[in-house]
Amino acid sequence: MKKLFSRTALILSLCAVSSVAVAEDFPFKKQIVARQAFMQVYAYNLGLLGAMAKGEADYDAKIATGAAGNLLAAAKMDNSTMWPKGSDAEAPGLDGKTRAKTETWSTYPKVTEKHQDLTDALIEMAAVAGNGLDAVKSNMGAVGKGCKGCHKSFRVPKDE
Amino acid sequence: MLKKILFYCAAVALLILLVLHFISLPRTLDASLIPQHKADLQNGENLFWAGGCASCHAQKEARAKARLMLGGGVELETPFGVFIAPNISPDRQAGIGSWNTAEFINAMVNGVSPDSTHYFPAFPYPNYRSMPYTDLIDLKAFLDTLPPISSATADHRLHFPFNIRAAVGLWKLLYLNTGTFSARPGVEASVERGRYLVNGPGHCAACHTPRDLFGGEIKNRLLAGARSLDSASSTKAPKSNRIPNITPHAEDGIGKWSENDIAYALESGFDPDFDSFGGSMVEVQENMAHLPASDRLAIARYLKSIPALASTRD
Repeated sequence: MKKLFSRTALILSLCAVSSVAVAEDFPFKKQIVARQAFMQVYAYNLGLLGAMAKGEADYDAKIATGAAGNLLAAAKMDNSTMWPKGSDAEAPGLDGKTRAKTETWSTYPKVTEKHQDLTDALIEMAAVAGNGLDAVKSNMGAVGKGCKGCHKSFRVPKDE
Repeated sequence: MLKKILFYCAAVALLILLVLHFISLPRTLDASLIPQHKADLQNGENLFWAGGCASCHAQKEARAKARLMLGGGVELETPFGVFIAPNISPDRQAGIGSWNTAEFINAMVNGVSPDSTHYFPAFPYPNYRSMPYTDLIDLKAFLDTLPPISSATADHRLHFPFNIRAAVGLWKLLYLNTGTFSARPGVEASVERGRYLVNGPGHCAACHTPRDLFGGEIKNRLLAGARSLDSASSTKAPKSNRIPNITPHAEDGIGKWSENDIAYALESGFDPDFDSFGGSMVEVQENMAHLPASDRLAIARYLKSIPALASTRD
């Protein structure tokens, strides 16, 4: 009896695991997971600079230079394969999985122009991040503008 | 007998119509209530940014100096139809350059135009009306310094019955009931400054508070998040049409944000996770970035002080 019970429990738990795996599968999963992880790389490095700008961490020229360099390197990466057409929030099965708007593709190449603005802001940040706290502070706004350039037009609001 | 009943019904209907007509008439301002006040242009400019005037009245995507060119034309697509922001530049024909102080205050406080018609509350006068007359005089003085734009804007394209302006008069009876802002005694001055900026000029509630069937803000859900009314930016993805809960609720709101986090987000556009603002909040934030740091901190302190509410689906 006990054996039967534990076997049933095992089978049930296996079913549960596999159904979670099935439920979690969605179109363009690889690309969407990759581009969201990529955004986290931006956010992590921005956080290093931002903590200094906000007065939550002491200014450290080496950390600031490193973070700004990472951000610029990230902006220069070719990520085009992470953004296949049809991997938007309105696509079947992607509501809640991605926040990319269809306009990202329908107004192309606008998104690449916005991305160039970010790259330009990061070139400036990378050049001056080692020059002191004021340089970091005063360039955060322009970098923010670079991020918002795409997030304003090409991203739907976050679901709560 | 039947004739009598019909006559009686018609009389009652006529009476109701007459009463509705009279109570929905636009109210004008008692000009004797306008104080003698020498305009403070700096305060006027701050209120211009706090009020987000440029978000609707400057051209879409306008940057830098173009933010001060208030020729209107931005289209607001809502479930009621398309609202088109009018020209509020100081042009005497196309804009509001010919308005006197009383006419400007009457528009901002009562939502009534100089020719005595009701404005639709897409123009957030239900929020602006809490602004003291002295602040409105300062704001008008600043607007008067901006470049006149001579192009006229098109009319709103609203669905029936929302296109009946008299109905706005009835709407006002239900919802236009805030008085002029006054600080609560015993509450810290900076919190009260924040309360004024958030609920008055900043009109944060216009998007972040859910609305009832007739478009009135649900007061006990203040800033607890709402469905976006802007159907232009909405998508077929229903999870993506939400305006966030900005009450201090730890899970659903921004309870985990410190005062410094909120103030810095309004300054830079970065949230505490260093994701950037997106959508219509970008313009709001870029307006708020023009305010003195003390005002952004005041907004943060007030937002930390309001009731924490869990999100609901409206």
